[in-house]
Amino acid sequence: MKRGILLSVNGERREVFIEPNRTLLDVLREELSLTGVKEACGRGECGACTVLVDGNPVNSCITLAVEAEGKEIETIEGLSNGGDLHPLQEAFIEHHSFQCGFCTPGIIMTAKAFLDRNPEPTEEEIKNAVAGNICRCTGYDNIVDGILNAAEEIKK
Amino acid sequence: MKDFKYVKKGLKRTDGEMIVTGRAKFTVDMALPEMLFGKILGSPYPHARIIGINVDKAKELEGVKAVVTGKDIGYRRFSFIDTPAYPAEQTPLAVDRVRFVGEGVAAVAAVTEDIAAKALDLIEVEYEELPAVFDPEESMKDGAPAVHDIIEPNTTTAWEDFGIPKAKSRPFKVVNNISNRTLIEYGDIEKGFEEADCIREDRFEIPSTSHVAMEPHVAVANYQPTGKLDVWLTHMGYEHKRFWLAKLLDIPMSMVRVHKTYVGGTFGGKISIFPYEILSAYLSRLTARPVKITLTRQEVFSTCPPARRMIVYMKMGVNKEGKITAYHSKVIDDVGAYRRSSPTAMYLAHSFRNPIYDIANVRHEGYGVYTNKLYATAKRGHSLQQMSFAVESQIDMICEELGLDKVDMRLKNFRKKGDVLPNGDTLNSYALPECLKQAVEKIGWKEKYGKEKSRGFGIGTASMFSGAHNYPFASGAMIRLNHDGRMILYTGQTEFGIGIDTVMAQVVAEVLDCPMDYVIVNCGDSEVSPHDVGNWLSAGMFVSGEAVRRAALDLREQMLNYAATGLEIDVEDLEMNDGWIVSRSDDSKKLSFSDMSRYGIQMAGGDPLIGKGYTKCVPEVYFWKGKYNKTASLSSGKGRFTQAYGLAAAAAEVEVTPETGEVKIIELVVADDCGTPINVKSVEGQIMSQAVMGIGDVLLEEVEIKDGIVMNPNLLEYRVPTANDIPKITSIIVDSYEPNGPFGAKEVGETSRAAAISAIANAICNAIGKRICALPMTNDRIMQAISDKKGGNS
Repeated sequence: MKRGILLSVNGERREVFIEPNRTLLDVLREELSLTGVKEACGRGECGACTVLVDGNPVNSCITLAVEAEGKEIETIEGLSNGGDLHPLQEAFIEHHSFQCGFCTPGIIMTAKAFLDRNPEPTEEEIKNAVAGNICRCTGYDNIVDGILNAAEEIKK
Repeated sequence: MKDFKYVKKGLKRTDGEMIVTGRAKFTVDMALPEMLFGKILGSPYPHARIIGINVDKAKELEGVKAVVTGKDIGYRRFSFIDTPAYPAEQTPLAVDRVRFVGEGVAAVAAVTEDIAAKALDLIEVEYEELPAVFDPEESMKDGAPAVHDIIEPNTTTAWEDFGIPKAKSRPFKVVNNISNRTLIEYGDIEKGFEEADCIREDRFEIPSTSHVAMEPHVAVANYQPTGKLDVWLTHMGYEHKRFWLAKLLDIPMSMVRVHKTYVGGTFGGKISIFPYEILSAYLSRLTARPVKITLTRQEVFSTCPPARRMIVYMKMGVNKEGKITAYHSKVIDDVGAYRRSSPTAMYLAHSFRNPIYDIANVRHEGYGVYTNKLYATAKRGHSLQQMSFAVESQIDMICEELGLDKVDMRLKNFRKKGDVLPNGDTLNSYALPECLKQAVEKIGWKEKYGKEKSRGFGIGTASMFSGAHNYPFASGAMIRLNHDGRMILYTGQTEFGIGIDTVMAQVVAEVLDCPMDYVIVNCGDSEVSPHDVGNWLSAGMFVSGEAVRRAALDLREQMLNYAATGLEIDVEDLEMNDGWIVSRSDDSKKLSFSDMSRYGIQMAGGDPLIGKGYTKCVPEVYFWKGKYNKTASLSSGKGRFTQAYGLAAAAAEVEVTPETGEVKIIELVVADDCGTPINVKSVEGQIMSQAVMGIGDVLLEEVEIKDGIVMNPNLLEYRVPTANDIPKITSIIVDSYEPNGPFGAKEVGETSRAAAISAIANAICNAIGKRICALPMTNDRIMQAISDKKGGNS
């Protein structure tokens, strides 16, 4: 049975009328057209679908949309403020931290949640933080560089 | 050499903002009004006859708009390689027989994906199981179940359509399940083996690995009432896609438009055409609505071809001085149900290794063998990594037997710059010796080799074409000057992670000496962009990049000529500088690019100024109405292959814990001779990417197939390297300057992986003092080798 739920996405109230078994990923992509959220495995194994729910990174492909009701959802689309990019986004461009870019939104959201908690991370801590996000293109080095540099930029 | 302004710099990606904001649109993100969703029903049997299919109940389900079976579509065959000698044998859906678990038997289009999935459950298929064969060496024996009997073409083959002068297509009778053969010979191997002081014969086994491109395989097709087919695909070159879609749907190729999308990784796995792409188009035409088919990760693992699995019998002879006197490789390529690119792979298994060692006496035999398994395809290096693992392992074994230094021995056997290969290719640039020297120096080989127990050192080499003379053979490019002085570049290159917009803009900005933001790149749209060779066989920068450079030169010449007339000065006195055309002798005399557009339109009969450039993969090769020159033969290896070879050497240091078999990579160094790096950061990215992929190949990755079923079709059971698995990796760019490439550039995207694989594998075997002749080198396999009392090879 479909039901109406109210989601708060990137600071905006969004009403959707959905089956309760729909994943947050599906609802964000298909009902709200937030296609920056990506699906690569559908089973919580790769991190491409990572969004923040109340500041915590979650795999939206294994989270039901109804579970996120009443919570603050952040996606890559909400990260930049108008035309101003977030320091993580700037650093990812500066340090070639992506190639095909498919896993990038998920990695940036994971990194954002991480830096919010740990503003002065070591390289090892960064590697651990993004170890649940698979990137098949970059070999990860430039991703770690990007996050390290973003952390320094945020501190300034 | 003059200093570059835009080339050989690590410039930022010009489309970076699109990626980091999530605004870049991939094919999975495409949604069209009235779009339907397709699903494909796969066979549960590895080999069976289809007795009947009942789709009535599925058709009755509310929301189902179409159900098709193989009988509806018929014998419309396709393959990556479709030649008169090796005609295509795969159909979009199985018509009367299935040959692997997961092969499509029916497809549905419905208003939602859920309804499409429910409809699949309502399709009743009656099968008669047939005996199946899974082991390629069993499959070659007399009396093994026949995967195919006789392949009877019912159309011309693709090679005839391309105009390649070969015999007319003919039925292909499959004997002993052999799908294709290659035999390349030169010198006298019997004599070569007589001259050897050490001869080794070993058997190597390399499993399938998955590409794991993060964007799953997906297609959106929209057949228009005008007869035009619009498609959005995740791919690596549109010419193959539109050729096959046109051929299989009986529509003119010009009526197929492959739209530009961002592509979420390919690594060879999205080359040529796939059933789900043809089915989305077929269902769209049938329903007169757009149809999207998105494969799940499990479907990608289970129904899309992984990398080729090979058994390599290597026999090499080396004399006491360390010179290789004879080389005999026999490769069995377990192609699975359909041969696809095996005829190419079997010739590449020779030709990708050919530029490395100078060996006078060579025999290379390649056999594609059908089995009732998922068919296979190219993956980043297409045979190079399998052969590099086998050859470099065996060279280490021989060096150990003869007491030779592993670095010196390789240096002694390397070819030289200027060498002409037996097929006629010339090594106009060749820095492989420098690559090896720099890699071993960086790793500290001399100081550290053999000094510490449980520590091991290994080296490996690789080489790769920079495009080859296969269809589509050539690339074009166009640059249109706009009224504001900026330009739009049209290139058929596809953006799948390489930064095409950026590197092509660098090429144009360098030629025209203008700011990067003067160049807007429109890439990968088959209706707008010119003919293009695609992003495979590493042709992108070398071939299409050169076409772009020539288009820029053409536009430059036109602009300079008009400027000379407009300024009433000699053209020789003019140069371009930072977006201006300036007199060398009087810098007050200058015109902007915008002025040139206005001049062309107002004073030169409305000339809008369009630059055109083109280049061929191998200029000497041609065929035209029965005449032909230097065309390569896949089965004999004769004829020209490529214009330039990328080369790489790697060195690895590892530590193995003898109690557990656990491998820790201490350091990996990859030195890549890619000619001039157009974008230094992008090139380093390609090398790092391959180094890490190589780590996965050696330590983790194998598509496990049991009784024809893929046993690990997900990212938990099929593990790829994560950020935590990355050791210290150094990439070294060795610029050999390739005279035929744009600004001296050549291939970079596919060489390093094989060099890294062979270096890491050799380092592990060096650390444990035992030889492992199979990949991946899992902890279990290493423990088994360590406990092997025979002390030799396992």
